[in-house]
Amino acid sequence: MSTNDTARRSVQQWAVPGFAVAIGIAYLVAGIVGDETTFGVFGLVLMVSIAIGVLLVRRHSETVQGMLDRRDERIVQIDVKATAFAGSVVIMAILIAFVVEIARGHDGAPYAALGALAGVAYLVGVVWHRLRG
Amino acid sequence: MRNRVRELRHQRGLSQAALGTALGVSRQTVNSIETGRYLPSLPLALEIARHFELIVEEIFDVDE
Repeated sequence: MSTNDTARRSVQQWAVPGFAVAIGIAYLVAGIVGDETTFGVFGLVLMVSIAIGVLLVRRHSETVQGMLDRRDERIVQIDVKATAFAGSVVIMAILIAFVVEIARGHDGAPYAALGALAGVAYLVGVVWHRLRG
Repeated sequence: MRNRVRELRHQRGLSQAALGTALGVSRQTVNSIETGRYLPSLPLALEIARHFELIVEEIFDVDE
């Protein structure tokens, strides 16, 4: 393994915990701006706890460790499949909610826009990966 | 797809964890390859072959 690979994986180890903390800070800022400070503090504490939990669990779980350092190709594949599954569930929920909103006589907002975003993101993904390989 | 990874690992007295460390994958992944539940990528198959000083065809074989 090259020095660059080692450095890249060292950075990747912190990507998920760092993202969790960043989301927590966003919750805090949103809470303060929206005069919901309790929500903001709770959100930050929750996300920091998740980040700490992930860092602690990785010592005991090869799966969590693999998802953090992206070194094991099988675990990376599992992560990609799980992400695709989660995305499919969310898209299905959006479509169902859109249909229900239409049936109730509403305009389908905001589900129409979310569904359209999902469709466009899928097409962009197909084109991007088609061009790359 | 059949493979001889477990047999070769036993011949060399390696644990799954030790082989995983040598290959840069987890013990779980070595186990999944040995049991045929996971088909490794070409780079990993080549790495396995290189580790055992064999060629890929001597380790992996398509079921007839």
